[in-house]
Amino acid sequence: MLELISHLAESSGPVIHIAPGEVLKSGNLVITNSMLYGWACAFVICVTLLVVRFMVRIKPRRGIIQFIEAGTEMIMGVINNALGSREKAVKYTPYFVTIFFFVLLNNWFGLLPGVGGAVTRGETPLFRPFTADLNGTLAMAVVTMVLVQTFAIKESGILKHIRHYFNGSLKNPTTYLFGGLEVFTEFTRVISLALRLFLNVVIGEVIISVFGFLGKAAAPVTALPFVMLEMFVGLLQAYIFVMLSVTYLAVAIHHDDEHDAETEAPETVPEAPKRKRVLKQKVGTA
Amino acid sequence: MYFAEISGNIEILGKGLMMGLGMIGPGIGIGLVGNAFINAVGRNPEAAKFLGQALVLIGIIELLALLVFASLFII
Repeated sequence: MLELISHLAESSGPVIHIAPGEVLKSGNLVITNSMLYGWACAFVICVTLLVVRFMVRIKPRRGIIQFIEAGTEMIMGVINNALGSREKAVKYTPYFVTIFFFVLLNNWFGLLPGVGGAVTRGETPLFRPFTADLNGTLAMAVVTMVLVQTFAIKESGILKHIRHYFNGSLKNPTTYLFGGLEVFTEFTRVISLALRLFLNVVIGEVIISVFGFLGKAAAPVTALPFVMLEMFVGLLQAYIFVMLSVTYLAVAIHHDDEHDAETEAPETVPEAPKRKRVLKQKVGTA
Repeated sequence: MYFAEISGNIEILGKGLMMGLGMIGPGIGIGLVGNAFINAVGRNPEAAKFLGQALVLIGIIELLALLVFASLFII
């Protein structure tokens, strides 16, 4: 029985690629199919968003602009909830909305027919989803975490930002131990962001190809539910990517000292009318 | 004299065991998150706005299950 199973599994199984294939190669410069499709998708996304940018009116319109506006509003709400003020949300929205739509549309364009084994150049498929390549998602994660650190340093100054990791008395050796651990955590965050997106997309591809293979002639029927599941997973992963990076930003720019500043701030506002009253009294007595 | 003898490709047996045993933990973890979320919404319907946080927690746990799946192609 086991021999039969292993024989079945080894004979012409579904086409599964975990690593991207090389399409063009000249010397050390290799262009993989993921890079090719990533450039194409990036071009399409840039053109779409630029067109939408000129369609923005106060009166709402139908069409793709509604989709883009809804996504922007959602991400802005997430940042507003995490950072606690609308000013900061407006300040940090552009990058996070960009990365949200880049991840989302790359995930969805990866499910289009023609991506994968259908169009091949030699042995390797010509197109492969950009997010199904660990290099691509690692690049996104590195850029995101570097920007998070930059935002945090801009927000609170470099010394205060370092003290955010090494908080506590500097004479205490455990400060350095836990500080080093915190710094190490930042690097694991890069890896986990990249791996989560990559594995979700690439395993979705594997599942779709396995169920397409099992269905034989009925492949469209058996693979369709998993394509729909992958559409949902693509949206969910784009949301989770942004949500996690916003959370990391919120953790990085939050300091305990800010509590005092926040509690002091509302007290100064009601004092303003008192001064006016004093001025009026002075005017009245004069 | 052996009580039982396994012949054939042991690698596939190992992969199957790895998938089956490795998915138990993440399955329980995602179930606990979903249980906590549904309980919270049942007690306090206002808590439904924390769906995003619940999904993020599920995403964190899901990574472990995906790592198990990805190990299939490495070993």
